[in-house]
Amino acid sequence: MNAVTSARPVSDVAHATCLGIADLSARARAGAKGPGTAAWLAGLGLPLPARPNSWLALPEGGLIARLGNTEYLIEGNAALVESVLRAPRAAGVYPVLRQDAAFALCGSRVNELLLQVCNVDFRCLAADPALVLLTSMAGVGVTVLRSGDIANPVFRLWCDGTYGHYLATTLLEIAGELGGGGIAPDLLP
Amino acid sequence: MPWRLLRFATAKQHPEPRMFTAHAELKKSYDVVIIGGGGHGLSAAYYLGRDHGITNVAVLEKGYIGGGNTGRNTTIIRSNYLTPEGVKFYDESVRLWQDLSTEFDLNLFYANRGHFTLAHTDSALRTMRWRAEVNKHYGVDSEVVGPDFVKQAAPMIDLSCGGHAPILGALYHAPGSVARHDAVAWGYGKGADLRGAEIHQQTEVLGIVVKGGKVCGVQTSRGFIETNKVLCAVAGFTPRILEMVDIKTPLYIHPLQAMVSEPIKPWLDPILVSGSLHIYISQSARGELVMGASLDPYEVQSTRSTLDFVEGLSAHMLDMFPFLSHVKVMRQWAGMADMTPDFAPIMGKTPVEGFYLDAGWGTWGFKATPVCGKTMAHTVATDTPHPLIHGFSLDRFRNYALTGEKGAASVGH
Amino acid sequence: MKIMTCPINGPRPVSEFFYWGEMRPMPDPDTCSDDAWADYVFNRNGAPGVKKEWWCHTASNTWFVAVRDTEKDQVLRTYLYGEQP
Repeated sequence: MNAVTSARPVSDVAHATCLGIADLSARARAGAKGPGTAAWLAGLGLPLPARPNSWLALPEGGLIARLGNTEYLIEGNAALVESVLRAPRAAGVYPVLRQDAAFALCGSRVNELLLQVCNVDFRCLAADPALVLLTSMAGVGVTVLRSGDIANPVFRLWCDGTYGHYLATTLLEIAGELGGGGIAPDLLP
Repeated sequence: MPWRLLRFATAKQHPEPRMFTAHAELKKSYDVVIIGGGGHGLSAAYYLGRDHGITNVAVLEKGYIGGGNTGRNTTIIRSNYLTPEGVKFYDESVRLWQDLSTEFDLNLFYANRGHFTLAHTDSALRTMRWRAEVNKHYGVDSEVVGPDFVKQAAPMIDLSCGGHAPILGALYHAPGSVARHDAVAWGYGKGADLRGAEIHQQTEVLGIVVKGGKVCGVQTSRGFIETNKVLCAVAGFTPRILEMVDIKTPLYIHPLQAMVSEPIKPWLDPILVSGSLHIYISQSARGELVMGASLDPYEVQSTRSTLDFVEGLSAHMLDMFPFLSHVKVMRQWAGMADMTPDFAPIMGKTPVEGFYLDAGWGTWGFKATPVCGKTMAHTVATDTPHPLIHGFSLDRFRNYALTGEKGAASVGH
Repeated sequence: MKIMTCPINGPRPVSEFFYWGEMRPMPDPDTCSDDAWADYVFNRNGAPGVKKEWWCHTASNTWFVAVRDTEKDQVLRTYLYGEQP
């Protein structure tokens, strides 16, 4: 579970409480887009987020996010993702290669970090937890959503894999200044 | 107020002569009307009088002379271009620049500093080599140098540029210079005025009368004037003037911004340009760092400036010169750059007889001020394009014969 | 910071967007004259005005149309292509 950051995450409970960054790049992931995608995914038995830029937790674990009108990201359960990747595609369904760098951020000072690297105020996710935000963070295009409960939010973050090292380095540097750092994924709330 | 100052303020006879005469009224007709009292327009008026004996000339300026891009650029003069057309043209300009202070009897503060175009990538270095070869072929002093040479010329530089974009080499152009831009407009204005041309400030062109495909007059905010020859030299305002004569061009307008720091001790002699970091920088005689970047990313026909620009440029400046982190930015401004698809100007005759165009000066116009005036004066006086501007005609787009100069633009736009 | 409103992602700083010029109808390349084609390829309307332009929200790759006053740099309206006149 350490595809991008070069240092092994410190399993540090203190970091997780203050400001922890976990690398989730290695999670299984599938993507598809196009006008036929919604019907195709529904046919595979997946629940679909009703609004553009919203997400749902999957019953088997993991999540499905709707990015824009016709694009979907599925992450989590390896068997489920594999079945989506192997399913024969229908008309109007185009595969999207998801070689993302993926992170999760948690802790009491997480907002202080986010305010330094992004124009969007992610506290808006408190009012609408199903929202997916596509924005620019430290100059890199990112997809962001909030999971976890409102008292202990976890911000999920995806970006193009080639920017992963840069984004991880940037975020960890700021996290270090705020008294946080890298954590193992099992320490996420 | 001290008495001596008050005496000057109330004196009817100003002790110093003005740079040029203020004319109360426009004449009924002129041999040539030049729209735009910037460096290019005034320079054309000057050479029309000096070289061609045409002195019944009016220069019409909507604002004040030199208040457009002439006074808004970062004053860099160089001739290390990419195409043969460009190299020959700008080289002639550099030659004219070197004599201008003497010719005007006015100090232009022309300072020969040397000009480095930094290469941070292999492909940039390849373009530098290409440019150096073209330059040398036409006798222009230009060579590719290594990082050590750059460090020697600018010891404060971080050659690794913060680790993001290490400097691999540079195109070094020894004749690269800076000059005081306002003085250029004043010098040409004074010289044109002495030869009989009239400079009319606060005079806006409202329409151009064309009959049978020929220019026959100009409607201004101060009345109508007859003329058979109009030269348009208005940079970012060009599309608005061209609407009056129904000429279509590829010109598109993006703001180009610049800023200066507070004055500091002299530490930077050469002019440095980095395409990858989108920077050009020189230190003025007053000690200010004069800094520019790439074009604004979208079309705007105004001279508004933005915080985004200052943030972006400052960040890149710190990559190259980390020690500047405590230096303050003093002011910023913008000019309207009239861009062309091939980064070469549009000069010469147009489909309308008697309407001459000097436009498409985008981000590269200041250095061309003398040669533009000279070649456009020739073109207007003889109704034949000057040989140096053949590659810049408006026709080249219709004929798909572009003059690709983008590789020689200061920064990647 | 200038704010532009993406029809899908909402108001965002303009640095998240990419500008792709004025919307211009393409003449039929099989039937139009060479001059008409060169006019389409090269010529632009560089004068200020209220123009319909292509913009893209780069973080989500959402292409849309912005109606913008290019002199005042004011965005009057944004919409997805085909949704509104």
